[in-house]
Amino acid sequence: MSGGALRAAVAVELRKSVRARVPLVAAALLVLGVVAISASAIAAVSAGPPEVLAKLGPVVGGGGWAGYVDAALQVTGAAGAGACGILISWSFGREFAEGTIAGLFALPVSRTAVAAAKLVALFVWTACVTASLIAVLLTAGLLVGLGPPTASDVGVVVGRIPVLLLATAAMTVPAAWVSTITRGLMGGIATTVVLLASAQVIVFSGGGAWFPPSAPALWALAPSPSTLVTLLWSLLFPAVAIILTVVSWHRLQLDR
Amino acid sequence: MVQGMALSGVSRTFAGGVGVHGVDLDIAPGQVHALVGLNGAGKSTLMKVLLGMLRPTSGAARIAGVPVRSAGAGVWSRVGHLVEGPLVYGEFTVRGNLEMSAALHGVPRPRRAALVDRGVVEFGLQPYMHRRARSLSFGNKQRLALAAALHHDPDFVVLDEPTTGLDPAGTILLRERLRRCAGEGAAILISSHHLDEVSRVADRITVINEGRLIGRLEPRGAELEQAFFALVLADDERRRAGEEAAS
Repeated sequence: MSGGALRAAVAVELRKSVRARVPLVAAALLVLGVVAISASAIAAVSAGPPEVLAKLGPVVGGGGWAGYVDAALQVTGAAGAGACGILISWSFGREFAEGTIAGLFALPVSRTAVAAAKLVALFVWTACVTASLIAVLLTAGLLVGLGPPTASDVGVVVGRIPVLLLATAAMTVPAAWVSTITRGLMGGIATTVVLLASAQVIVFSGGGAWFPPSAPALWALAPSPSTLVTLLWSLLFPAVAIILTVVSWHRLQLDR
Repeated sequence: MVQGMALSGVSRTFAGGVGVHGVDLDIAPGQVHALVGLNGAGKSTLMKVLLGMLRPTSGAARIAGVPVRSAGAGVWSRVGHLVEGPLVYGEFTVRGNLEMSAALHGVPRPRRAALVDRGVVEFGLQPYMHRRARSLSFGNKQRLALAAALHHDPDFVVLDEPTTGLDPAGTILLRERLRRCAGEGAAILISSHHLDEVSRVADRITVINEGRLIGRLEPRGAELEQAFFALVLADDERRRAGEEAAS
């Protein structure tokens, strides 16, 4: 795979991300959804009755910027997995569903380069969404009357959300592989749902430290040497998925 | 010596035993070679083997003398094809699709705009240049797919049922483009059900039936349809007799 071929493939995939509806809708839903849920939770706690505070207490803590950011981190973990999983399933699965996969054969830009470019495009999309989320989250915090954030609050938002979202995006790469071997979008989306649901169940049941899809959120909510090591080890999971996906594209045949 | 495309002893079978069996086929430079056969005869399978979309069970496919399984960017940048599905994305405009296709065919950036403009004109796509592909009619989408397959002046062309969806004007534009490609030395393999159209554009016509090449037709010959069915029926009877003798 030459550098020129990869650059051409990345340029095409980034153009698709800008022109198609799915990446734009997924980005808008992720950013606005996370901010809306976090802001609603903090508004409900500050103005609501004690029973609301009792229910949302574990999510927003004592309220204020710290509670707002905590809520945002929790929602971002789950919403990010859903949005990235749908996006990556669409990116890989659409080539089969729309029949464009045949046109990706017999080109000087190899299918290996195309698959790698799709993964690059996912991480570029995630980086752009991260920047938007941080900006909208901080602006919304001011608009809902939390006052100016402290340097520590800003540090949590700017330091943890990029790692959380990028690592969460990586954890959804198995959906790309499943979309490839099932020749469509639905296999990838089903994989996303399974990863998301299993991560939630395992975390709520008190486990999760050993389960890679849970690691980014567990680190973001409670950064420590222990959760950091778990997060780093968990990156082996997407690494294997990336290899499987690229090899599957390299060996692909139109035999079904 | 300039080399074209070749299949030597190619077999590719699927579950149930269908597929292609022991096919030898040469597509010479400067020639439009048509493959005709009934539905399921194996035309698309042969084309897929030639383009690396299917690995043969046995035998080999070569383009420019290079085995397809080891062909690199240098070979593939000289290939244009439309087999199974077009490389057309609904979110791109006609122009955007052609630019994307030029980039993926390895056309250097400074040459892309001129090739895209020419492709638009060659297939009569000027009125739709800034329309998104998803809003095009089936026929115009086919014109766009053909322009995307041919705008980089490939030396090796493989088109499966290229006239599908085209109106008479589009068919003539394609015929002129293919004759021009062949005139410039390209080796061209097309498949079609339209024997009249094939007789107008092809230099050679090979008939395929049940996965085997069974003969040739004279492109400018009279009663092409009759000659085609005579070959197919004779092959069917020969095979049936062979099967009965074996059982």
